[in-house]
Amino acid sequence: MKELTEKLLSHLATREHEIIQARREGRKVVGYIPGGYLPEEIVIAAGAIPIGLVRGGDHSAVELSSSYICRWFDSFCRAQIGYGISGLDPYYKLLDLLAIPITDNHTRAISDVLDYNTDIEIFPFGVPHMKEESAFRYYLHGVNKFKEKAEEITGTRISYSKLREAILLCNKERELIKKISMLRTSDPPPLSGKDFVALNHGSFVADKAFMIGLLESVVTKIEEDPLRIQKRPRILLTGSTLAMGDSTVVNLIEEAGGNIVIEEFAEGIRPYWENVSTGSDLLALLAEAYFMKRVPPAWFRPGRERLDFLIELVKRFKVDGVIWYQLMFRESYKTESYYFPKRLKEEASVPMLVLESDYDPSEAGPMQTRIETFIYNLGK
Amino acid sequence: MGKRIYAGIDIGSLSSEAVILGENGILGYSVRNTGADPQRVAQECMEEALARANVAKEDVLSIVATGYGRIRVPFADREITEITCHAKGAHFLFPETRTVIDIGGQDSKVITLDERGAVTDFAMNDRCAAGTGRFLEVMATALETKLSELGQRSLEAKKGVPISSMCTVFAESEVISLIAEGKRREEIMRGLHEAISSRVYRMAKKLRVKKEITFTGGVAKNQGIVKALEVLFKMPVNVPDEPQIVGALGAALYARSAGPRAR
Repeated sequence: MKELTEKLLSHLATREHEIIQARREGRKVVGYIPGGYLPEEIVIAAGAIPIGLVRGGDHSAVELSSSYICRWFDSFCRAQIGYGISGLDPYYKLLDLLAIPITDNHTRAISDVLDYNTDIEIFPFGVPHMKEESAFRYYLHGVNKFKEKAEEITGTRISYSKLREAILLCNKERELIKKISMLRTSDPPPLSGKDFVALNHGSFVADKAFMIGLLESVVTKIEEDPLRIQKRPRILLTGSTLAMGDSTVVNLIEEAGGNIVIEEFAEGIRPYWENVSTGSDLLALLAEAYFMKRVPPAWFRPGRERLDFLIELVKRFKVDGVIWYQLMFRESYKTESYYFPKRLKEEASVPMLVLESDYDPSEAGPMQTRIETFIYNLGK
Repeated sequence: MGKRIYAGIDIGSLSSEAVILGENGILGYSVRNTGADPQRVAQECMEEALARANVAKEDVLSIVATGYGRIRVPFADREITEITCHAKGAHFLFPETRTVIDIGGQDSKVITLDERGAVTDFAMNDRCAAGTGRFLEVMATALETKLSELGQRSLEAKKGVPISSMCTVFAESEVISLIAEGKRREEIMRGLHEAISSRVYRMAKKLRVKKEITFTGGVAKNQGIVKALEVLFKMPVNVPDEPQIVGALGAALYARSAGPRAR
C-alpha cells in the first residue's frame, strides 16, 4: 500500500509541471471548488483539464485572506481566497476558468473576493437548497450554462459521444473509490483512513487515466494482501470540509487508537455513492446524479436527509463513534452539531465528539486531548 | 510482597502536581508552577511528592501522566488525558459525583461520568483564557488584590456589577473603566465571578448535568466562584481539600487499576 500511496505522491508532485506543459500545448484548465456539485465530465468532454482546488489546512493562507475579507467566514473558504490572491497554491495560477458552485455565503465569498481581486475568470454556479422540480430545472440551467462556458473557453463543441465517454470515465473512478471504501465495512478495515483520504484527495488533482490505474492497483493490492491493522474503535469522520493538507485531525484520531472507516464531508471528499447514468439527455442525467441523488450537505433544507444518511453509514460501517469536524464559522454545520448527537444516541447508540478548527496549529494540543478521551471511552 | 504504590502526575498549563497513592489512599503530593520547562517540573514534582510520602522511587510500581504536558514526562508508563483523570479522581473523593467542573489555568471543562467514574460526555473551552485561572490572575492584579483573597472579597458585595467582556484583555479594560467610574471593588469582583460562573453554566447546559457536582482545578479554591456556581446550578458543589491535585490523583488511580508495569 505504501508503494501505491508513494506512487500517487510522486504523480502529484509532477502534476503541476504536467499541467504547465499541457497549457503550452493549448489545453485549457478549469479549476473548481470541490463541493461535489461541479460535473467534471463537462470539462473533460471539452478537452480541458479539471482541477479540484482541494488544498487547505494552512493557517498562512487563512491569514493572507484577512486583508480581503473579514474573519467570519469558513476557514477553508478563507484559505482559498488566500491561495487565490497570493498564488500560494500554484494551481490558482494555471486556471483558465474557476467554477464555483455557490452553495452558501461562504463559497459565494470565494467567488466574489477572487473575482474582484484577481484576473481569474470566475464562473459562479448556483446550487439551490431544496430538491424539487423547480430546483432541478435551476440546477440543470446551471449545467447548461457551464457547458456553454466550457465550449467557449476551449473553442470545442461538446458532442454527445465525448460527454458520454467522459461520464463513463468518471463513473469508473467513482466506482473504484466506492469499492475501496466499501471494503472498509470489514473489521479491521483493510486500509487506514489516512490512505483512503489520500486517494480520495488525489482524485481531485491527478490525471484521470493515471488515477483509475492506481485505484485498480489499490483494489488488487487490498484483496490480495490487506493491511493488517489492529481491531480498534471504528470512527466515522464527518464535517464541512476535509481538505488536502488538513491532516491534523485524521492523524490524531489514528494515533490515538481509532480506525477511521468512513468519511462524509461537503467539500474535499469526492461524493462517490452515485454514478451518472447514460441515456439520451446527458445533461439532465448529470443534474440528476450531481444534484437530485447527491446526499446534501448541512445547508440543505430540511437537514434530515443528511442526518438519515449519517445514521445509515454508522450502521453499515459498524461505527463505534462519530467525530464531527467542523471549520470555524461554517454556521450551518454548527447548527446540526447541537441536535444531531441526541438523535445519534437514540437511533444508533453511538456517541459523538465535536471538534472545530480554524487551521490554527495551536489547536492540536486541545484537539488531541478531546480525541484521546473520546477514543479511550470507546475502547472501554 | 512489595508495597503497592502508584503515582500520577499532572502537567498543567500553569501548575503541575504529583500524587503518590498507596493501598489506603494518598501518601503524599506536591504542587508546583509549571514554568517553561515541563520536563524539569515533572521531575521535581515527583521527587517532592516521593519525599513527602517517604517512598523510594523504586517502590513505585507504575506512573501515569496527564495534563496538557503529559507527553513531556519521560518516566511515565502511560499517558491518559486530564478529562478522564479528573473524572476518576473526583469520583474517588466523592463517589456520588456525576458531574465534574474543572477550571484550570488555561481552560475550563465540564465532564459527566457514570457510577464507576468513567467519562460519559464532556465539554471543553480552550478558545481563550476567558474564565480561567489566568483570567483571575489578571483581574486580581487590575484590582490590586491577592489572587487568594479575590473570591472571599467578592462575597462581601451584595450584588455584582455586570461584566460583559469575557476576553481577558477587554475584561481588564472594562474593570479599569468601572474602577474609574467609582464602582466598589468588591462589586466588580462579584460581577467577575458571576460572569465566569455563568459562562461555565452555559457550557454545562449542553450536557446532562446530574448531581453531585464536584469542582476541581485551581479555580475551585475561589469561594466566590463556588458560591456563584451553587446559585446557578441550584445545588451544593463539592470542593476537595486540595482541588488542584484531582487530575494527578485520577492518574494515580488509573496506574493502580492497571497494575504494575511490565519490567
